[in-house]
Amino acid sequence: MPVVQTRQLTRTYNPDTIPVHAVRQADLCIEEGEFTSIVGPSGSGKTTLLNLIGGLDRPTSGSVHINGTDITGMSDSKLIDFRLWHIGFVFQHYNLIPVFSARENVAFIMLLQNRDKDEIARRTDELLDEVGLEKRKDTRPAQLSGGEQQRVAVARALACEPKIILADEPTANLDTTAAMNLLDIMTRMNREKKVTFLFSTHDQRVIDRARRVVRMLDGAIVEDSCHEG
Amino acid sequence: MTIYLKLAWRNIWRNRRRTLITVSAIMFAVVFAIFGQSLNRGSHEIMIDNMTRFNTGYLQLQDRRFNNEPSLDNSFAYDAQLESRINRAHPQIELMLPRIETFMLAADEEATRGAMVKGIEPEKEQLFNNLEQRLVNGRFFTSAQQEAVIGQGLAERLRLGVGGTLALIGQGRFGMSASGLFTVVGIVDHPLREMNDRIVYLSLATAQELLAAEGYITNLLLVPERPRDTDRIAVALRHEFTAADLQVLTWPELMPELLDLLRFDMAGSYLMSAILYVVIGFGFFGTVLTMTLERLKEFGILLSVGMQRLRLAIVVFLETLWISLLGVGCGLAAAWLVLLYFHFNPIELTGNMAQTVIDMGWEPILPVSFAPELFYTQGIIVFILAMLVFIYPLVKIARLNVLAAARS
Ligand SMILES: Nc1ncnc2c1ncn2[C@@H]1O[C@H](COP(=O)(O)OP(=O)(O)OP(=O)(O)O)[C@@H](O)[C@H]1O
Ligand SMILES: [Mg+2]
Repeated sequence: MPVVQTRQLTRTYNPDTIPVHAVRQADLCIEEGEFTSIVGPSGSGKTTLLNLIGGLDRPTSGSVHINGTDITGMSDSKLIDFRLWHIGFVFQHYNLIPVFSARENVAFIMLLQNRDKDEIARRTDELLDEVGLEKRKDTRPAQLSGGEQQRVAVARALACEPKIILADEPTANLDTTAAMNLLDIMTRMNREKKVTFLFSTHDQRVIDRARRVVRMLDGAIVEDSCHEG
Repeated sequence: MTIYLKLAWRNIWRNRRRTLITVSAIMFAVVFAIFGQSLNRGSHEIMIDNMTRFNTGYLQLQDRRFNNEPSLDNSFAYDAQLESRINRAHPQIELMLPRIETFMLAADEEATRGAMVKGIEPEKEQLFNNLEQRLVNGRFFTSAQQEAVIGQGLAERLRLGVGGTLALIGQGRFGMSASGLFTVVGIVDHPLREMNDRIVYLSLATAQELLAAEGYITNLLLVPERPRDTDRIAVALRHEFTAADLQVLTWPELMPELLDLLRFDMAGSYLMSAILYVVIGFGFFGTVLTMTLERLKEFGILLSVGMQRLRLAIVVFLETLWISLLGVGCGLAAAWLVLLYFHFNPIELTGNMAQTVIDMGWEPILPVSFAPELFYTQGIIVFILAMLVFIYPLVKIARLNVLAAARS
């Protein structure tokens, strides 16, 4: 069963005035363990597509299935729960909770899931170790560099044990070293833990690391190529 | 839940200065409201205390008809049997003060005045209100002699001094005509001005004889061992006397006019507090409004990563609650200290005001009240403010669109 399956996915903004076809009839299938990059010029619909897949936005027509579940018609609160349990997000601007330490940011997701306290503590430690933040666990975001914050964000996204991690331009705000470091972590997670990643990017260095590249233009998927990296 | 409390607590300190200003504003509102109302109530409490001690008592037993129609015809028999019934109903009654009261005309050779005649057992009354201390002249009677103690005001009006002869003319029980001559043996400066101008104390037996009411009284004052047990005792007695012709009245029921008047007198300070709270409420609202608006994006992120709107609303509610709790907590503590200060260093009255108060038999100071009600009502008011203020973020969170918030 594919992790993500979209059928004729379409999102039109302002359908009544000046319609903007942000995503049109996109058919995309992502299997477990893939490491896929969505590329395309600015305004081509990358963010919109990711938002639709993540259940943050609702399609005008077409459908999104995550692990076989149709999320298209879910109620708002069901969708929030679905995201909590099945989808991890990494944002361009990190978007950590500023008053929480790295540890608390990661643990918070699992607290929302009402997991066992000991399990939360153990997993939080593991995740932060895996993203290389052993020494900065109790630091708040404001005291972390962009790269470190984004690594916390990756740990947070992984915390819920998601089917897939969606990342919209995760390296756009990072310098080369930080970006490569983040990519190393993501690739390793993908390889070792079979975590499925789907991210959008303009960054050629990132594109080079992807095993599959989906190219968009004016809201449509125009190219879908695989290359072993 | 602890994580939400923690999150809310840290969130309010993201803008330390704003939170401190809001907390102090609430604190000042609480302090001023309590202080204003406390000064107002302080003098009321003295009035009520005087009224209970020198007139109504905490609790009375009366004939069922007496309260509406205070006539000797609505008196009741007082005997050892009644006493033991009362003691059985509630053991924590320290004293029982039988009284017989009626209006009569008081006269000397020249003038005639309306008088409130009270037959009392002076030794027992003494234990309750220390009336003897208010004697300005003479002594109290001890037994059933033709002796009277009268209020200073009445004495002046009738130009009577100790040793003078007072005539009382009126009606006794069942319309019997009643009249008698009494020697004035004492003059009291009665703390209740109205009483001072018309009170005539006789011994209970003397009054009963005068009024053709041997064995009968109009009021039985019950003095609880602890005044705060008043209501509990009333309940027990009401239970005991359900079938009887007797009714139990507590002090608020015995002085409804005075209490209405005092309530009306509180209106001013309530209005002041209300205005204060409205102003502070808007400040509080402003803080919560900005706290909400500047974090819409963050709220959107929290919804994105899977936090339910309800939980988010709880966190924001806890934030308003933290702020109001801090404000109320500091406010109550500060108000208590302020009241304590003014309790030990009271504001002194001067001029006419002081003279009026002295004439009424009180110290010329502004007493403060520590009534618990003063304190907890402020807590309730601020809590209601917090609820009202919270409506804004609640609506915002309910309507929040994740994507719109993320773009803001
Ligand atoms: N809320 C909106 N209302 C109207 N139009 C929108 C809205 N969001 C996006 N669009 C339009 O939809 C199109 C696709 O936008 P989208 O953000 O998905 O592009 P993108 O590929 O992510 O671009 P970028 O590389 O700049 O991030 C654009 O033309 C954009 O202007
Ligand atoms: Mg984009």
